Amino acid sequence: MEALVSLIIGVLTACGVYLSLRGRTFPVVLGLTFLSYAANLFLLAMGRLTIGAPPIIADAAEGYTDPLPQALVLTAIVISFAMTAFVIVLALKTYKETGSDHVDGMHKP
Amino acid sequence: MNLLLVVLSPFLGAPLSTVISRLGRLHAAWFAGSITLSTIALLIPSAVTVFSGHTGIQHFDWIPVLGINLSFRLDGLGLLFALLILGIGLLVVLYARYYLSGRDSMGRFYACLLLFMGSMLGIVLSENIIQLLIFWELTSLSSFLLISYWQYRQESRSGARMALAVTGAGGLALLGGFLLLGEIVGSYELSRILESGTIIRTHPLYFPMLVLVLLGAFTKSAQFPFHFWLPHAMAAPTPVSAYLHSATMVKAGVFLLARLFPVLSGTPEWFWLVSSTGLITLLAGAYIALWKHDLKGLLAYSTISHLGLITLLFGISTPLAAVAGVFHIINHAIFKASLFMAAGIIDHETGTRDMRRLRGLWRFMPHTATLAMAAAASMAGVPLMNGFLSKEMFFAETLYDISSPWGWLLPTGAVLAGIFAVAYSWRFIHNVFFNGTPADLPKIPHEPPRWMKVPVEILVVLCLVVGIIPDLTVAPLLAVAASGVLQAPLPEYTLAIWHGFNPAFWMSMIALAGGVLVYHFFSFFFSLRQSAGEWPAMKTLYDFLLEKLFSWSGTITCFLHQQSLQRMIRVFVSFALILGIGGFIGEPFIFTGERVLLPADGVSLLIAAIIMVAAVSTVMLHRQRLAALIMMGTVGLGVALVFIRFSAPDLALTQLSVEFVTIVLMLLALYFLPQFTPAESRFSERIRDGLLALGAGSGLMLLTWAVLTRPYDTIAEFFLAESVPGGGGHNVVNVILVDFRGYDTLGEITVMALAGIGIYAMLEGLKLTGSTEYPGIRWSEDRHPVVFSTFARLLLPFALLVSVFIFLRGHNLPGGGFIAGLITAVALIMQYLANGTDWVRARMPLDMHTVIAAGLLIAVATGLASWFFGHPFLTSTFGNLHVPLAGELELASAMAFDLGVFLVVAGVTVLIIANMGSIHSESHPVTSRNTMH
Amino acid sequence: MHLIIAPVLLPLLAGIGLLLLRQQGRFLQRSLSVFSVFIQVVLASGLLARVSQGDILVYSLGNWPAPFGIVLVADRLAVWMLLITSLIALFSLLYALLGTDKSGRHFHVLFQLQLFGLNGAFLTGDLFNLFVFFEILLIASYSLLLHGGGKARTQAGLHFVVINLVGSTLFLFAVGILYGILGTLNMADMAAKVSALSVEHIPLIRAAGLLLFGVFALKAALVPLHLWLPAAYAHTSAPIAALFAIMTKVGVYSILRVYTLIFNTPAGPGANMIEAWLLPLALITLVIGILGAMASSGLYQQTAYLVIASVGTLLTAVGLNTPAGIAAGLYYLPHSTFAAAACFLLTNTIAMRRGQFADRLESGPLVSHMRLIGGLFFVTAILLAGLPPLSGFIGKFMILKAALAHSQLAWIMGVVLITSLFALIALTRSGSLLFYKVQAERESAVASAAVTTGSVPIIREVLPIIGLLGLCLALVILADPVIGYLQLTSGQLLEPSFYIQAVLAMGNTR
Repeated sequence: MEALVSLIIGVLTACGVYLSLRGRTFPVVLGLTFLSYAANLFLLAMGRLTIGAPPIIADAAEGYTDPLPQALVLTAIVISFAMTAFVIVLALKTYKETGSDHVDGMHKP
Repeated sequence: MNLLLVVLSPFLGAPLSTVISRLGRLHAAWFAGSITLSTIALLIPSAVTVFSGHTGIQHFDWIPVLGINLSFRLDGLGLLFALLILGIGLLVVLYARYYLSGRDSMGRFYACLLLFMGSMLGIVLSENIIQLLIFWELTSLSSFLLISYWQYRQESRSGARMALAVTGAGGLALLGGFLLLGEIVGSYELSRILESGTIIRTHPLYFPMLVLVLLGAFTKSAQFPFHFWLPHAMAAPTPVSAYLHSATMVKAGVFLLARLFPVLSGTPEWFWLVSSTGLITLLAGAYIALWKHDLKGLLAYSTISHLGLITLLFGISTPLAAVAGVFHIINHAIFKASLFMAAGIIDHETGTRDMRRLRGLWRFMPHTATLAMAAAASMAGVPLMNGFLSKEMFFAETLYDISSPWGWLLPTGAVLAGIFAVAYSWRFIHNVFFNGTPADLPKIPHEPPRWMKVPVEILVVLCLVVGIIPDLTVAPLLAVAASGVLQAPLPEYTLAIWHGFNPAFWMSMIALAGGVLVYHFFSFFFSLRQSAGEWPAMKTLYDFLLEKLFSWSGTITCFLHQQSLQRMIRVFVSFALILGIGGFIGEPFIFTGERVLLPADGVSLLIAAIIMVAAVSTVMLHRQRLAALIMMGTVGLGVALVFIRFSAPDLALTQLSVEFVTIVLMLLALYFLPQFTPAESRFSERIRDGLLALGAGSGLMLLTWAVLTRPYDTIAEFFLAESVPGGGGHNVVNVILVDFRGYDTLGEITVMALAGIGIYAMLEGLKLTGSTEYPGIRWSEDRHPVVFSTFARLLLPFALLVSVFIFLRGHNLPGGGFIAGLITAVALIMQYLANGTDWVRARMPLDMHTVIAAGLLIAVATGLASWFFGHPFLTSTFGNLHVPLAGELELASAMAFDLGVFLVVAGVTVLIIANMGSIHSESHPVTSRNTMH
Repeated sequence: MHLIIAPVLLPLLAGIGLLLLRQQGRFLQRSLSVFSVFIQVVLASGLLARVSQGDILVYSLGNWPAPFGIVLVADRLAVWMLLITSLIALFSLLYALLGTDKSGRHFHVLFQLQLFGLNGAFLTGDLFNLFVFFEILLIASYSLLLHGGGKARTQAGLHFVVINLVGSTLFLFAVGILYGILGTLNMADMAAKVSALSVEHIPLIRAAGLLLFGVFALKAALVPLHLWLPAAYAHTSAPIAALFAIMTKVGVYSILRVYTLIFNTPAGPGANMIEAWLLPLALITLVIGILGAMASSGLYQQTAYLVIASVGTLLTAVGLNTPAGIAAGLYYLPHSTFAAAACFLLTNTIAMRRGQFADRLESGPLVSHMRLIGGLFFVTAILLAGLPPLSGFIGKFMILKAALAHSQLAWIMGVVLITSLFALIALTRSGSLLFYKVQAERESAVASAAVTTGSVPIIREVLPIIGLLGLCLALVILADPVIGYLQLTSGQLLEPSFYIQAVLAMGNTR
């Protein structure tokens, strides 16, 4: 299982990096979103992997997973949501201002 | 005695003189003069004590922790220089008052002159060498202002910049040298340094320190190969040249040599570096001076040559040579100042300084001519003039070890330079005042105003009295100055015109005779030579280097900073990779730890497969943007599934709702953007990016693996234990968010709020037309389908109810303010989509900005409330309450905080999406409808 | 007791208030904004007085004991940064009131929340919380940078935003690893745990530490991660560029904080982990910054490159990793910040007077109030070039003095001195082109330029600049007490046990 999660995180990161290296704003935004997926999964994983032990105090529960990373991930999700919203609108603005959706305003071969 | 005041008064005078010049341009001159006079008056009492062999030190603490202090020192050497600076300064002030024309601003001139005077005084009266350095650089800066006084002239600007660059560079070298010197001695105070000669000369850092210090001295004193800035500084008004190049600026360098003479001299390094530099400068300067047609140019190179002479004397480093050096400093200051002034008068009254046009001025200005001749005679070293005395001492000193194999070199060079000196002095006189009648001069020459000549007369009289009766005039001053240099008892010497027929006498005679002959046999060539010989062409080299420096920096900068985002990210990722790998270099490392691992099961495998396939296909399809977006949405859902799988229900809920809103947002954006990405990156680039991506990905994978397979102990136990008793909630994640780490959440919602208002500010006035890239598809004309809108309106109350429910249970079960906020936002956005912005705007009770602000305010207020109970910010409390539907729940104060979260999230989300919707400027639907009917 | 958190809450509340008052008159908003910043100066001074006795103030939020809750920690370093930030903010804001704040929405809200982010980052004792406040100050800076709009500005803004988002992701990864191994987020607790770390985890911790270094180096614009800076600073509005002079210093602060606290256990895994990287990169940064300044075609751009160079100088001092070196850096930090800010503001004042020549370094029309503005430029140039007698010289002197003991003395001294010379040459050229080489036939442009700027009295325009230069002068006159404070600061930093004890000893009771 750990290997699987590591693999997922690796793949998401790779896709994120590749997309964020593209020349147009839209793929770059997708790439940044992928990177935040990877980061969120990574943070969660740092609390190690536990199945069926949500951190909700109950007498029945025999164990709980580490709640702290989950809290961190929640914060991270919200922040990355705000950032994604900002950057996508900024992409629109640059498209309007420069007349091109290339990240550098124009394509420099 | 108050040396601080002596140094300070010119600095205080400088700004005042600009103010006073407003009252009338001549007032500035009188004011500057009186400042100088009063400074002299301040100096006199302390001067007396110096003659009684006492060294005055005045100390004020400034930065004792660094050893930098305001401490002043008055000994013979300092006194001599102070007198030269102030005395000649006074004459220059008087002279400039007549020299400057009505167009020149007197206030600015005298302000800069006083600044410069103060800086020079600071140098020569410093006890702390760092303080000396500070004044040293101040002379460079103020001389820049003086040389560039006529800033509208190209040569003034370039001359000033060159002088500042060269002397500034020297100053920086000197800083290095003084730092080392201070390190060697353990103090920056001169009295400590002058005691520790042997320590310094035997220290391993001696040589680098010596080189750096000499660089400072030589650049300032225009020694070869740094001499080239001085002739170009002649672009300054003549009074400035008369001041800078006789008694002050260039003398600062030789002052430094004299100041550190006792501790630095006496080693072969010193001898070779200093005397060879001096000899070369002496000869080169004198030779080039011969070929100059410009009066001031001739004087400039003669200055260089005489400074070389003084440097050479200090290089020889016998006590007598040092005495001769000091004596020549005095004499050169006197005769060179008078010569520059005379040249200025000629320029002023004839309109030219070109010796190919100046002829036979004797008939027009006999008085000036006489003065100039006397001064020139002194420069040439004619008996009865002061120049003769020091020059003869110099000749004598060059013979100090004639027996050694190369001993003949110095005297020969000295005599040769003497011949040149006589030649150019004689040329100066003969060519300008005799040699026919003047040809096409711009003005009809005549004597200058009476008072313009007075400074010259005073100086020439000094030349004579010093030359004829040295013992009654200069002797005592020379004695204290020389002992100030040597810091030791003086050697035996006599200041007499007649020492008998000794070698030095014959050398003088050879020089005189030879010089006259050289002029008379070669004057023909001088006048032939059009371009004045700039050998060696250091100026050209300097310009070349500077030009290259600028062009190279241009090339490098352009190469490095081509504003390319892809490049930035590439560099960042690669650098991060290198850093990450760097962590594992050195120590042996086993990636796999010994923690027991979970077995992989089918469900997880399926989820993983979905995520990875979707992710890879997003990359594959990223040119078809809509498809890529859908794929990305799939990945987002997959991530939510992973969260559920690994017991994080809150995260799953949040991820789902965020995913939804994000996708809506991106769809809206995509509507305005091109629908397809052109294939523009080269194959090689794609390979490179791919490799980089693989590197980053596998790096992260390995890191995750390495951590996941390792055991760890965490502070989490505390939260699990304290959640119910301390936080009043069973949902530990929520309790952490609103209580244990509520401060994080406060920051997080501030980020949300900032994003909201930032986006609002960006969108303001932004108008875009929708995409028209789907020729096949026509946009639906029905903007708000009835079914959809009615359904949405029905949905709203339910959605709100759900969000309230989610909110209330959040503290104990998955849910909470954030998710509730998003749900509410979604419900409201539905209204926008279904019924249009205007419809909702009309019914929306309040502006979203207010909602956001209110949310933040509530959150902060909850935190502040705990202050009244004497607890820190954000301390929570809770009690029980029965609420229908949600059942028994603890109502924690943290819930108020969560309410803030709810409001901010809902407000921001609605604000963003509503405004995104409204940037649409009418495009196709209108046209399509028109086509319909 | 609440004094510690006041510098964080005040700008937040001011920001909220300004958001609520957005419909009210501009005068009210401006007064509130200025008042808030002014009080922040007062608060920072108050804290300075408190911490200069040497005690480290700790404030545990939510009354949860460290390491479980988040703590604010006010030590000498943090308060020094607070003071500098509030001062630079005050003068930038005063200049912005001349019209910048009118050229877009929500200027004052964003400005206050920017300060909220900065102050929070300086005060927090929790690594993840540092991340959160980084995000706050970043997203505020995004909007401020874009404030006013325009093609070049938006373009530069996009680059600035995206590269920083990538940087934030890296921050999350690094924090994650540290938590995954150490199981804590409180920096003091981390330090304690690192020193007791079993050997097989050490490389992971080192990797995480170095990744963090990458994040901070990006903020600090250390070569090769400086590429975002020139365009971003050269194209934003002058008051914002002036305020951003502190932004690179946030990176420097974080480097100082993290690597003197968490990774500073003697002979521990982190023992001078970044030493091998920092000094050489810093020297290269210095060189590249100066070359850029020489190559610049406009004064804004030149100032931006000089900011990079100042970061290089600053990190050279830090890279010496000695008490004297760090003290020198902490002295150079405010100097370079104030000088750069003054230069940005001055550039705007000059550009407004040169018609279509703006800040371009070429012979243009005569600048009105030539004496005053030219004089201010002369002083600013002396500051930036590090010439006597101003604070730049003292800073460089301290750095070189500290370097005397270093094995690479020759390199450090050579680079620092030669780059100073190049800076001098470049600035002399700029001054000569802007003020001396004036074209008579372009006098006409003056009139038009004068008209455009005629609205504001010159004194209101130069007062903020004079204020910043005055601060540099204060650094010279008060050099002895200041340096004394900073030497104690560096001592405090290099003896992390004080900090750790102060934080973890807060075992308070509910």
